[in-house]
Amino acid sequence: MGVTCVCQVPVAEGKSVQQTVDIVHKKLEQLGAVKQGTFCVDCETYHATGNVSGQPTKLLYMMHNSETPLSCMALFEGGPCLIADSNFDVLMVKLKSHFQKCQGTQGGVWYCDNELQCQRDITLTFCVFPQVEYCPCVVPGDCWNLTKEFMQSFLGPSVPELPSVFAAKPEGLFAPSDGVDTMTQYLELFNKLRKQQIPGRFAGKKV
Amino acid sequence: MADLVNVGVNLDAFSHAISGIQALRSSVSRVFESLKDGMKNRDTLEGREKQFIVEFQDNLQAVNRDLNELERLSGLVGRPSESHPLHNSGLLSLDPVQDKTPLYSQLLQAYKWSNKLQYHAGLASSLLNQQSLKRSANQMGASAKRRPKVQPSTLVLPPQYVDDVISRIGRMFPDMTIELFRPNGTSAVLLVTLGKVLKAIVVMRSLFIDRTVVRGFNENVYNEDGKLDIWSKSQYQVFQKVTDHATTALLHYQLPQMPDVVVRSFMTWLRSYIKLFQSSCQRCGHFLQDGLPPTWRDFRTLEAFHDTCRM
Repeated sequence: MGVTCVCQVPVAEGKSVQQTVDIVHKKLEQLGAVKQGTFCVDCETYHATGNVSGQPTKLLYMMHNSETPLSCMALFEGGPCLIADSNFDVLMVKLKSHFQKCQGTQGGVWYCDNELQCQRDITLTFCVFPQVEYCPCVVPGDCWNLTKEFMQSFLGPSVPELPSVFAAKPEGLFAPSDGVDTMTQYLELFNKLRKQQIPGRFAGKKV
Repeated sequence: MADLVNVGVNLDAFSHAISGIQALRSSVSRVFESLKDGMKNRDTLEGREKQFIVEFQDNLQAVNRDLNELERLSGLVGRPSESHPLHNSGLLSLDPVQDKTPLYSQLLQAYKWSNKLQYHAGLASSLLNQQSLKRSANQMGASAKRRPKVQPSTLVLPPQYVDDVISRIGRMFPDMTIELFRPNGTSAVLLVTLGKVLKAIVVMRSLFIDRTVVRGFNENVYNEDGKLDIWSKSQYQVFQKVTDHATTALLHYQLPQMPDVVVRSFMTWLRSYIKLFQSSCQRCGHFLQDGLPPTWRDFRTLEAFHDTCRM
């Protein structure tokens, strides 16, 4: 519940990803956060087969979040989103003829800083994505400044950008119950990362 | 007049003693003045030091002399007699054993003390009564038994009037919706929804605000029975703080003769929370302090402050 914001933290120079993660965790503990558990977000990409030639391949992203373990989200980039129960995975296997699987998974660690804010880190082999959730507020436009200040307190002065989801509906309610907005943010960051990496070499690792 | 003749005080010696006190005071202040002025200008350092020491000694001896004179005079003045008895209590003074049972002198002291106390209490009550702080119908004081209890007319208002006032105030503020329920008798319970920020439950007693609970927009306001839950606190620390501030506000805005003005002021104050998560603190400029946004709103200017930053 509340407004969730995901951003990307560049790995510090001369340090490995694990060291960056440890630094962030230490700063969080100094702020009074308490480690509560682990969670996992994973993303599998399917591309549609059998398209008319000349059209770009449409990619379907299947995402799971251990926060909502019984749900399964299917998103098209910038397009419609479907939320289904876990049987949808089985359905996708049956739709093998139309969709081919081609991607990997990611994972994370969850901190809870008093009852207001939950902070989570997602770590790939080469990148760190902290996720901050501010529970009391439901309008993303309202608390962006507050969330940004909080992120700067443990991530340093590098200013995270306003996620496009926030810009799209600053006055509307953040959709907390189905996690669509959160997943959309993750998707955008993953895709941005993929474009930066050499194509074909992208592989996630569970931490 | 007979009392004056019986006075054991030597008036002459008394006036001498008073002038003795004045002489002592002036010699003591002379001592401190010479210390303050320090050493006067002379040719040599030794000369200066000698001059200073001599002057200091002279001043101290003058103080000593005056003190001895004062002691002598005070011996002559004598004790004021306690022979103006307070009617029958003066019979207590006939007890000769003054050291062991100083009843009469203690009695006089207690009497003087209680007179002073009564005088000060009278002054205090006249000052306090200027600001009427009564929120109840009971009349306190000695006249309560003599006069019949008069209830202020504002405590017994027809429910229709209360409904009208509330709906008028609700129309004043477009981003605030007020719903009125009467789950327990004639007392109104308001559910105030402020934009998409918070929901406040305000329990009223006729047109006086009794207590308030503030919860988040996404929190549940009804309990299992489907009734309004007016007791449980918010699960978020922010809104628990806002609840405390709202309770302070409803005690601050008071005007027993015009309760509708009070309700309007309280709602205006509550409306300033529409930007609870957007405003930064006016004093420190930050959004977060101890993990909380600025939750305090000044009662006059409605500016946002952190709870620890408010003046």
